[in-house]
Amino acid sequence: MSALTPTRTPAHRPPASPDSPAPVRRVRRGALRSERRGVRISAWAAVVVCGGFALLPVYWLLATSLTPREQVFAYPPRLFPATPTLDAFAALAGNEQLFVYLRNSLLVSVLTAVLSVLVSAYMGYSFSKFRYRGRRSLMYFVLASQMFPQALLLVTLYSLFSAYGLLNTYTALVLSFTTFTLPLCVWMLKGFFDTIPDELIEAARVDGASRLRIIHAIVLPLSAPGLIAAGLFAFVRGWNDFIFALTLAGPEKQTLPPGLVNTFVGEASTAWPELMAASLVVSLPVAIAFIALQKYLVGGLTAGAVKG
Amino acid sequence: MSASQFETLQHTNSHSPPRRLTDGQFALLLLLPGGALLLGVVLYPLVAALVTAFFEQSLVVPGRTFVGLANIVDVLTGDFPRLLGQTLVFTVGTTVFPFVIGFALALALNTRIRGAKVLRGLMLIPWLVPGVVVSFLWMWIFNANYGVLNALLETLGLIDGPVAWLAQPGTAMTAVVVAKTWQSFPWMMVMLLAGLQTVPRELHEAAEMDGAGTVRRFFSITLPQVKGIVGLVLLLELIWNFQHFDIIYVLTGGGPAGATQTFATAVYETAFHGFDLGRAGALGLLWMVLLMGLVVVYIRFSEKGEGK
Repeated sequence: MSALTPTRTPAHRPPASPDSPAPVRRVRRGALRSERRGVRISAWAAVVVCGGFALLPVYWLLATSLTPREQVFAYPPRLFPATPTLDAFAALAGNEQLFVYLRNSLLVSVLTAVLSVLVSAYMGYSFSKFRYRGRRSLMYFVLASQMFPQALLLVTLYSLFSAYGLLNTYTALVLSFTTFTLPLCVWMLKGFFDTIPDELIEAARVDGASRLRIIHAIVLPLSAPGLIAAGLFAFVRGWNDFIFALTLAGPEKQTLPPGLVNTFVGEASTAWPELMAASLVVSLPVAIAFIALQKYLVGGLTAGAVKG
Repeated sequence: MSASQFETLQHTNSHSPPRRLTDGQFALLLLLPGGALLLGVVLYPLVAALVTAFFEQSLVVPGRTFVGLANIVDVLTGDFPRLLGQTLVFTVGTTVFPFVIGFALALALNTRIRGAKVLRGLMLIPWLVPGVVVSFLWMWIFNANYGVLNALLETLGLIDGPVAWLAQPGTAMTAVVVAKTWQSFPWMMVMLLAGLQTVPRELHEAAEMDGAGTVRRFFSITLPQVKGIVGLVLLLELIWNFQHFDIIYVLTGGGPAGATQTFATAVYETAFHGFDLGRAGALGLLWMVLLMGLVVVYIRFSEKGEGK
């Protein structure tokens, strides 16, 4: 799979030289003749059309969140809110149940991330540094396991958690979230461990360190960026989950995604500005995590991993 | 002092634990926590859910009766063909449209137009927001009475009166596909752009010198070079969309009149609103068989990629 992970900056790009800037510029950019006009125009056309599709809804999300509640129910809608207001955000801050959902979301996502990274680190290390029969089949089973439909797993998970009195608990949510975070973390961390030279581990063994100590004192500290990246991915996946929290927990233990659906959707007149404001708030942690993750984005993606 | 006594003495004196485990056993030990978790929350629930296909079983009443293939026959002669058709429409639509948009954008951004980096970041926004937020936003855009889409289309003279996009069987599926497309295309773009950036520029320069035009170079250089990553993203997207739940469930709940029902929402509805686990299991079994076909192709594909 690593062969499919492209490097971001091709090494063969000619380096820019500091002197004689004008002619060098064209060499550095390596502009092909045909790239100058026709291609450039179609490139911009694609960007404008697709960019409109991508960003106009984002604008509408922002604009609606700033519109006073009465003005939202006007037709045709105003493209710019006439009197922008933060009322919707203030209304959210006054809703105590939303803070319950927020606390649950944070707690469950963090616990999921910690548990997933902890367990996946050992598994990923085993896959990366040892060779045994069935290793590859097992690895691909782990990869495939995140592709089993959640709606189907739920059929049993619900009865299972119910039998052990775990419905409506954080435990049920964290355990069910690991069904999709574990495979992702295992594959990501295996990739990170693959980059740790075997010689380093051999040297430590010669010095008398036990295998477990090598993991804890050498491998894990060296893979800290990988552990953090995997943890953040797991956090985001947990944060975005809808179906498990919707089904396995009630209002006291539910996370934000189903919580927001229960609060806002299906009412006679939806409070659109508040819903859009809440949407912005719930998206924020994900955006921050991904800014931190930029570097690992493509690698993590090819690990068969991150999907909304 | 006998040999065995000597051995015991040595172990009590040494600081590192005895190395009784072989490497293989140690590797196995590392797999245990993750393996146990996957067994408990993925493998067992999956198998148990599939087994219910052969039983008459309710979510709320304990006990079950073996009914053989009755559930499966029921489903196959019932709404299976309709569900399969709708799931395929959704899956293909939400794979092809994001691919086209994502590829167009990747090609455009790869020509190194000014501000490509900023644009790439902005285009990622739809993918960063949680699935429920995507649903909320498009629910608002498609709103029959106050929606911005109706206003826009009316201004352009494309429709005569407000259209209830999400409430009409003829338009609901299109609306759901549009919302999912909006969420998916940035991921396609990032992956394809990363792939395009690995294409050696020298190839293009040489081909251009030989007189190959833009279109020719796209088909004879770019496409062969990125076909690995194209195959990967298409397969992954097909797998994810084939079991997508969140956006459909929140936007339409499978309605109107079941027009946007897919395997994912149908299994969920049958189990958790109809309480009919046997039927849900039967649907799930058929769903799994089809899905596993895709997963096997994907695993073959990634193994090939790794072997390269």
